[in-house]
This record gives sequence, C-alpha cells and structure tokens, in this order.
Amino acid sequence: MNLETAIRLTEILMGFAFVQQSIEHLTVFSDERRLFLARLILSLLLIIGIQTAWVSFLLLLLGLAILKIFHGPYNGGADRMSLLILLCLCLAHLAPTPRWQELAFGYLALQLILSYFISGWVKVVNPEWRNGQALRDVFQYSAYPVSESLRHLSQSPRLLLSMSWWVILFELLFPLALISSTSLKAALIFAAMFHLSNAFLFGLNRFFWIWITAYPSIIWFQSRIFS
Amino acid sequence: MKLFQTIKLLFPALIPSWDFFESIAPSPRIQFSLLNSEKQIDKHWVEFRPRPQYVSLIEMLNRMLWNPRWNESLFLVSCAERIVGNSSSELILHSEKEILKRIKNDLLQKHQTLTASHFQFRLVFVQRQGKKLIEEVAFISRTQTFTNEERL
Repeated sequence: MNLETAIRLTEILMGFAFVQQSIEHLTVFSDERRLFLARLILSLLLIIGIQTAWVSFLLLLLGLAILKIFHGPYNGGADRMSLLILLCLCLAHLAPTPRWQELAFGYLALQLILSYFISGWVKVVNPEWRNGQALRDVFQYSAYPVSESLRHLSQSPRLLLSMSWWVILFELLFPLALISSTSLKAALIFAAMFHLSNAFLFGLNRFFWIWITAYPSIIWFQSRIFS
Repeated sequence: MKLFQTIKLLFPALIPSWDFFESIAPSPRIQFSLLNSEKQIDKHWVEFRPRPQYVSLIEMLNRMLWNPRWNESLFLVSCAERIVGNSSSELILHSEKEILKRIKNDLLQKHQTLTASHFQFRLVFVQRQGKKLIEEVAFISRTQTFTNEERL
C-alpha cells in the first residue's frame, strides 16, 4: 500500500468512525448537538474526498472545541486516538516534502504499535494481571460489563487467567508482527477481533471503529520499512 | 489563557500513555435521590442507569453502530472519577454539573409528572479488599431543583 492510498483510506475510515460518533450525540443537548452536527457534515465531506486537508484541519479544531465542552475526552482512549489520527493527517497534509509526510504518518503507525505494546507491558508487570485477578475484578465490580449476567464470568478464574495471558502475550508480541505483511495482517485481524469482543462485553464500540482507522498507517509502514 | 488550557488538553493525544487497565481502580456507581424539599433528611438512593440483566448478541451487534446511552454512562464514570481524583475545583464543578444535567434529563424523559421538587446524587465507590467487595460513599452532590414547568 502506498502512502497516498493509506492516507486516503485513513480519511475514509475516520470519516465513518466520526459519523457513527456524531450521530450518537444528535439526540441530546443543544450545545453538544451543534458541535456534532458540524462534525457529521465535515466527516461526510472527508468520506467523499472534498478538500480533505482543510476538512481534517477543521475537524481538528472541532475536536479541540469538543474537548473543551467536556473538559477532557468524552470517551477516554477512543477520543485520544481520534485526535492523534487527526493530528497526524493534518501534519501529513501540511508536510513540505514527501519525507516529512512519511514521518507524520509514520508517527501514527508507531503510536499504534505502542498502544498495544505499552498496554501489554503495564499488564505483565502487574502481578494481579499475571494471576488473572485483575480481569476477575473487571468482570466482578468495574463499571464496564454491559450486563449483570457478564459479571458471572468473574467466577471462572481459569478462563479469565487464560484470557489475561492471551491479551498480555498478544499485546506484547504485536510489534513482532511487522516482520512480514502476512504476519501483520494476521495480527491486525486478531487485534480487530479483540476490539470487537471489548465492544461486545464492555460496550466500547468507539474503540473498535477508531483503532481500525489507524490500521492503514501500519500496513503502509510495514511495507515502507520491511519490504 | 483559555486557549492554552484547551491546547493543553491536546497533549495526551499527541503523546498518549496507552496504559489501559494498568490497575483496576475503585469503580464508581452513581445513585440519585428524589427529594420533596431541599433539606429533606430521609433519602432513598436509587442506582442511576442500572445495567440490564442480559444483553443479547443482536443487541450487542446493534450497539456497534448505536450506543449513545452506554457511551454517555462511560463519560459519567469519567466525571465521577474526576470528582474524587486530584482535579481542580473547576473540573469538579463541571463534572458535578454534567452528572446532574444528565440525571435530570433522564428523570424528565422517564416521568411524565414529577412530585419531587429536588434531587441530588451521590457517588459510591466499589472496590475489593482481600476477597470482599466494599462500598464507600465518596461524594454527595448539591441539590438541584426541578422547575414547575419541568415537573408538569
């Protein structure tokens, strides 16, 4: 995948992710509605491909305004990833030379790798993650499980211990997937399934859409560095 | 100054920490109480938006595209954490306002008429100590009024 295609694909996926997020805000309070209606319109322009550099910049400004009304992110990591992608897209559009453009977009790929690796690292150094207790706590009393019936999973310590180690190993080993395009594609499919299960179990639907938005950057990055 | 503060909010996006679920912190539950006067002493606390007993696979699939209520609830969890964290008084006030606003909106949508004149919320944090789960009330909000037009 060349840089131009990867950037365009990122814009389209981000447009869809932002449309999904924006529609969710249209039924609530008027101050939110105005901002998210503007975001919805800009996201549609981004999907169609009209003046994508300007549209990305305006979406970034709108992102700042949204941060301001909520005094921080509305949906934690999903909003941070949204802003990171927007920033990298804006920088890629502003870049004076192809090399700078590659650096801006490569930064997104690097952060995507770190998003998995650091998540794995903070878990593996925590004994409660290594013995499965942390995941038991997530199901037993955290605010995330979408239904009471899911809380019963906290009574399956063996299952949760193996799930903990699957998550830790996958996240820690993710950078090794860059060795070949085949291993990367397999890792990205696994990662998408991981986000999908988080969306099902914990209602984190926005994480799924915005993380897969960053995947074209890493596919391009892998071919740029290793091919 | 305000512009600087807004741009400062952008820094965690530029250099994110990515330390998801590093440790499982005490988890907030929001409970509200409907009051007949501002100074009512006996209060009956009700959990705000209790999670359903069961969510079907079809519903989980639908929620991939349409999940506003849950995402709003996650935002309220962040607000609750901001209130008891080392936040500035401005941020605490904003978080309290956001929770009050959304509880009020829910109550007004749910009830055609309200007999209560006021309401308030409290934050109960659940955490594990050894093998036991313990609950601790960490914050009680100010009372909020329903106007006569809102109640009818």
